[in-house]
Amino acid sequence: MTKEPIDLWIERHEKDPEAELKEKTERFLRAVQLKVPDRVPVAGVGGDFLCRYTGITWYDMSYDLEKIPGAVFKFVHDFPSDWSIIFAPMLLEGFVFALAFADCPDFSNTIRFLCGPVHDILKDKWSQWPGREIKENMHPQFRGGEFMKPEEYKRLIEDPLQFIHSTILPRACPGLGEPGSPRWNAAWIRVGMTMQRIGAFQGQLYGELVKRGSTAFPITNAYTPADVIGDFLRHPTGAMLDMRRMPSDFKAACDALVEHILKVATAVPPMPPATFFFVPLHLNEMLPPKLYGEFYWPQLKKIIEILVAKGYKGFIFFEGDHLPHVDTILELPKGWGVAWFERPRDFVAVWEKLKGHTTVMGGVPVSLIASGTPEKIDEHIKNLMAKIKPEGGFILSPGVNELPADTPVANVRAYINAALKYGVY
Amino acid sequence: MLDELLRAILDLDEGKALELTKRLVESGEDPLKILDCVRAATDEIGKRFERGEYFVADLVMAGEILKGISEIIAPKLRETGKKREVVGKLLIGTVEGDIHDIGKNIVVTMAEAAGFEVVDLGVDVPPERFVEAIKQHNPDIVGLSGLLTLAIDSMKRTVDAINAAGLRDKVKIIIGGGRVDENVKEYTGADAWTNDAATGIRIMLKLVEEKRRGQS
Repeated sequence: MTKEPIDLWIERHEKDPEAELKEKTERFLRAVQLKVPDRVPVAGVGGDFLCRYTGITWYDMSYDLEKIPGAVFKFVHDFPSDWSIIFAPMLLEGFVFALAFADCPDFSNTIRFLCGPVHDILKDKWSQWPGREIKENMHPQFRGGEFMKPEEYKRLIEDPLQFIHSTILPRACPGLGEPGSPRWNAAWIRVGMTMQRIGAFQGQLYGELVKRGSTAFPITNAYTPADVIGDFLRHPTGAMLDMRRMPSDFKAACDALVEHILKVATAVPPMPPATFFFVPLHLNEMLPPKLYGEFYWPQLKKIIEILVAKGYKGFIFFEGDHLPHVDTILELPKGWGVAWFERPRDFVAVWEKLKGHTTVMGGVPVSLIASGTPEKIDEHIKNLMAKIKPEGGFILSPGVNELPADTPVANVRAYINAALKYGVY
Repeated sequence: MLDELLRAILDLDEGKALELTKRLVESGEDPLKILDCVRAATDEIGKRFERGEYFVADLVMAGEILKGISEIIAPKLRETGKKREVVGKLLIGTVEGDIHDIGKNIVVTMAEAAGFEVVDLGVDVPPERFVEAIKQHNPDIVGLSGLLTLAIDSMKRTVDAINAAGLRDKVKIIIGGGRVDENVKEYTGADAWTNDAATGIRIMLKLVEEKRRGQS
């Protein structure tokens, strides 16, 4: 069998993972600095495809920590990348908890993501977990919900942390019981013990991954105030209606959340060579420019600017089609960070607007890898690279890094092969 | 006043649209004419969405307004025993493994406003439930919704199951959600795809027409 570029790359990882790590880190950082690296960095994939390929279930991934390392190591070995964004295979959106403890910088970031064992303690209604509310082979899912009434904006604005901590958490997490009750106190002690276990496990897992040549950068967390309201308090539908029905309350609440989100983000100090603050955007593509410009972008922009000035780099996931709002990104300081675009209707148009200003990540539709052929994937990436090179500041990635279970292995290999073939500058 | 109502809906002016509806009902306007106005609004909303003038948040607001109008005229419709003409029957659900329903719910509201009779199977719907429901409700269109990438597999399995049950010729299938596109349509064997509810409604109206023509 003829060896393909990916096979040679796997061999290099086996032979000298340290050299690979060094090379990949440098390649990635050059792209972040908007410079031309030796080759376009290629981002890793995972999701249901990882489970299918390695033979573990989402239940294992969520609750059976011992089964995770073997599966992740095999996967990362067989599908090498410059940035395996599998930093959270067993974690789910939970920024509201970091916010509830924003005044406790020693652990606010530790509980920024939800995991299955913590969900079992809190019984939170925001998420559903395999082997619990949903089947064992189902991906853990963030569902959100409505936990705040429209007339409660005043309380949120007055004291966001107190309101979230003492009113929202008890409503959304029946496992906590009454604030201050023995059940409440016991639940938090259990959460602490669980997070210590999970944290130690993750530390070890990432250490092992680095030894195998996987890049890792320190990450802290931020959020868009309007998404805090949509994801955790009022449900996205409620948030979109509130912007119109009670605009001044909604805006005041967004403004009030900014300083607390910054507290969470700055709890992890910026470290060289780069500490990224991760922000997944949710309501962005759903808003018309007028609402985006009033209730979404001003607060997000402020958060980004303050964190960049403090020495952090942004890593922002622009969900959906962000093209209608893409010009606003140019208001940020040049080189502020990485913008990952899920599915802009014209990816090259996004690139043309932002090149030289923002590191752009994306370019490959998930549907193409999931349901295309190796030839189509090769052709798509070849054409894309022809349009994007020779500028630096680009990272090749699918729109999201989660692939469906039935994704053909040959397609994932074709994606990495094409990056190695056509990405060289 | 009906023109004014149409404008208020399209301006997404909730207060004004509901107030006008109340006044129209009080002044004895035919509720079916108000429903025609709602249908015309739905059509125009779809066009504006396709032109990039409306966004999802606008559809959500429009959906609320249309729901509000329907609630106001419902008693009048019952009173007069009048029934609107049903343009087609839609069976919809979020496919197996996925519990997201924001998009699906917008489709349900807008499809009802456009004159569809809608059967909503909810979320995490396995292929066999779609098959049973097709047998039971005999819909014109089956809508498969999903947000997560895993929904791509579930959509394919659902279309396969409908095929295997010998029901494929009886229905038109549309898939919808943030991560579907032409590739996914081909892969799943659906008839149409959409990333948004507004375009979805317009496609479904065309599909119903095609289906009717095919039968006649």
